[in-house]
Amino acid sequence: MKHLFLRPALAFLAASSLSLTACNDDNDNEETVTPALETKTVSSLAPQPAATTSTGQPGTAKHYTFYSLADNKEVPYTDSASTKWDVAFRSTTILTNGGTSGPGQGGAQVYSGLFNELKTVPETDFAKDAATTKAVPTGSGNGWYNYDQTTHLVTPIAGRVLVIRTATGKYAKMEVTSYYKESPTAPTLSTPSGYYSFRYMYQADGSRNLQ
Amino acid sequence: MYRFSFCFLLSCPTFVLTQALAQVPAAQQDSTLRLQPRQLSEVVVTATRTERSITEVPIPVLVVSQPQIKAMGALRLGDVLREQTGLTTVNDHGQGIQLQGLNPEYTLILVDGEPLIGRTAGTLELSRVAVGNIQRVEVVKGPASALWGSEALAGVVNIITQKPQPGTSGNIRLRYGTNRTADLGGTFNAKGKKLGFTLFVNRYSSAGYTLRSAESPTVPPFASYTAQGRLSYQLGTHTTLSLSGRYYTESQQSDLRVTGETGEAAVVRYQSRQHDYNLNPVLTHRFSDKVFATARFYHSGYRTREDYTYRADGSPYDATYFNQTFTRPEVQLDWQLRPTQVLTTGAGYVLEAVEATRYDQRQQLRAHYVFAQHDWSPTPRLNLVTGVRYDGHSQYAGQLSPKLSARYQLRSWLAVRGSAGRGYRAPDFRQLYLNFSNPTVGYSVFGTNQVQAKVAQLAAQGQLATDPDTGQPVIYDAVLAQASGLTAENSLAYNLGVQLDPTAKLQFTANAFRNDLRHLIETAVVALKTNGQSVYSYRNVTRAFTQGAEVDARYQLRPDLTLSGGYQLLFAKDKSVINRIEAGEVFRKDPHTQQTERVQPQDYGGLYNRSRHSFNLKAFYENPKAGWSASLRGIYRGRYGFGDTNGNAILDAANECVPGYWLVNIAAAKTFRQRLTLQAGLDNVLGYTNPTYISSLPGRLAYASLTLALGKTR
Repeated sequence: MKHLFLRPALAFLAASSLSLTACNDDNDNEETVTPALETKTVSSLAPQPAATTSTGQPGTAKHYTFYSLADNKEVPYTDSASTKWDVAFRSTTILTNGGTSGPGQGGAQVYSGLFNELKTVPETDFAKDAATTKAVPTGSGNGWYNYDQTTHLVTPIAGRVLVIRTATGKYAKMEVTSYYKESPTAPTLSTPSGYYSFRYMYQADGSRNLQ
Repeated sequence: MYRFSFCFLLSCPTFVLTQALAQVPAAQQDSTLRLQPRQLSEVVVTATRTERSITEVPIPVLVVSQPQIKAMGALRLGDVLREQTGLTTVNDHGQGIQLQGLNPEYTLILVDGEPLIGRTAGTLELSRVAVGNIQRVEVVKGPASALWGSEALAGVVNIITQKPQPGTSGNIRLRYGTNRTADLGGTFNAKGKKLGFTLFVNRYSSAGYTLRSAESPTVPPFASYTAQGRLSYQLGTHTTLSLSGRYYTESQQSDLRVTGETGEAAVVRYQSRQHDYNLNPVLTHRFSDKVFATARFYHSGYRTREDYTYRADGSPYDATYFNQTFTRPEVQLDWQLRPTQVLTTGAGYVLEAVEATRYDQRQQLRAHYVFAQHDWSPTPRLNLVTGVRYDGHSQYAGQLSPKLSARYQLRSWLAVRGSAGRGYRAPDFRQLYLNFSNPTVGYSVFGTNQVQAKVAQLAAQGQLATDPDTGQPVIYDAVLAQASGLTAENSLAYNLGVQLDPTAKLQFTANAFRNDLRHLIETAVVALKTNGQSVYSYRNVTRAFTQGAEVDARYQLRPDLTLSGGYQLLFAKDKSVINRIEAGEVFRKDPHTQQTERVQPQDYGGLYNRSRHSFNLKAFYENPKAGWSASLRGIYRGRYGFGDTNGNAILDAANECVPGYWLVNIAAAKTFRQRLTLQAGLDNVLGYTNPTYISSLPGRLAYASLTLALGKTR
């Protein structure tokens, strides 16, 4: 079984009470009356097994690790052709369930700012996965991470929020917090990598409200 | 009230100008001055390309003389430089120096006025230079591109080797210490009426050291050899020819553990060998009392080779090489226009070639340059030096580097000096020609000289990602255009300082500096590959500044005891980071709570690897009569940033810093019958190490040495 630890976000209570008192004035649409959404945290979502490369590093796994934001659980890769999953991870690449990656309506935007400050889904277009470009841009500095050519470490860029359109066309925001097993504060080259820790907020009602 | 004397030093290629202000006591031509503070006779050549008294040049110059180098027990250039105010040794692909807060690639390193070549990622390894035959080291702080061209952006280090001295003399030196570090060598000097000769040979070896109990040593065992010589011949009363040359070689080997394709571990033997050589004939001629000419030719080569072979069967695992040559003819004319004015002009041509594993083919660069400098003392108290240099280059836009500096003697004990100038650094080979694809991660880096062609080639091969909307390859045209138009990095720099000599025993200097850097070269993404990785090249975008101040004081407590202290305050920041923080676009993540927050302007700690505070305290004791000498030196390097831990690639948290530390070094020597000197010393007395962040500090090092003087003793 994969290492999958689900932990309620400690910050949730504080964050939600803050946003409740904050959203008082010009947000006059009906979403404001709905109860605040829950921030969910996923720790060290393990990659699929892979052979070791010549340099001793774990190689790229054959399969992605699929995850359902709606159900907050991992989905077996045998269900990759379904709409049961919303995002998938392999190495530094994140897929969404749409375009060339899956049968769903998935897509993504990259938002620069604080997770808590992103309250509604921006009206910009959602990118979709294609054969060689992904909705969440790949490559160091382009999407969610920086790769340091000296230390060879992958670090999530602070303040990059991925706005996800899920397989069923709902919205979520997520933030990757670590790429290394058990989220060490100072990972090294020998720390197992490809283990995603992230937090996210999923809006089940189909609206663009993300608070 | 000027006294200009033209003396003609036999083997010295430069023109001698001694300028003594009426208010200043005449320079004491006392050769026993040695470590004493008032070194009025100390002459420097790097500041103006002519010989000038160090106390009278209008720009900050630091000189470390041979007696000091000996009293420190220094072996390599790095040992000498790391104890000086305003210089910090830093490690990035070798040990280099940081000057005025600028990285090692911005300091030009010369031996007798000719550049040492062979930099790795911008750093010229300081341990390649032995100090056994050095007469003095001159360090010019602030840009000197107006005289010396590229790389002299932060300053210049000029290593002045010993010239042939009358008579026959020499020495043999042996030294042994911790980590089986052995240094043995000697010098030989002979000079008659017309012919002079010096030779220096040295072998330096060590068993290396291991800081962490890992499978591979921190520094593997190595051995290096240096041979350096000079021949001078007086062709006529006004003409001298000298020929100097150097050869250096170093080899190193160790075993590394790697994991093979099939997953099993294997031992790989690493062997490296590097050498550099140079040859430098110099012809000088004095046409008249007023005109002096120097013609120089310099050829240098640098080669490295690294081989990795499987220990089991000797089959190759990896191999790399790097070969560079540098050839430069140059002429210089020094012309005494008036008693108070000297014009120095010169021109030269440079041919550089490089061939390496990561470059496509042998690459050649050509450059030419002209420079002129006007050194003028309109009044006895004022000295004005104006200089300008133009460098034309085959690969990037020409560079015009002006500089103006002035010194004013306010009182007999007080002078102010200031300068403003432009410095530049040409793009290096890697930025021009690199052709590298990382085999494990899959990204590619191309030098700007060929990035257009390489990107087109990748597109034709279908290796570039395609944009789903347009169906075209993902190429960032704007960045590609910037990369193709790469130009030199440059700076505008200002220095302002005072020199005080309130009493004969106390000397004090202070200097404030500011370097505004523009067009700094950084990597940028020019295209996206189908494997999801990027294609990188280089472009000029970053703007940064370094500013600060340094103070130096020397006090002669007793005739045989000199105390000194130095301090540098430094701020170095990236201007674009400041702008992004002010715009609220920079965030950070707490590594413990994983919460993200906005970085505030006051959180920004500036560029990595810069210490806000650094200082040194030294005591030098010398009693020539009793034959004793000793030194105690403490060097403090304040805390500095090492890298990012919170996801924003900038320095903004305390846990991104290496704590400050002291290095304390002591040495003592006793000379018997003016011929045999025994020295013992302890470097890093406190035994400070930081295995995680400072791999270059091996801990406490003890040593003992024996020097035997040959020939006539004074």
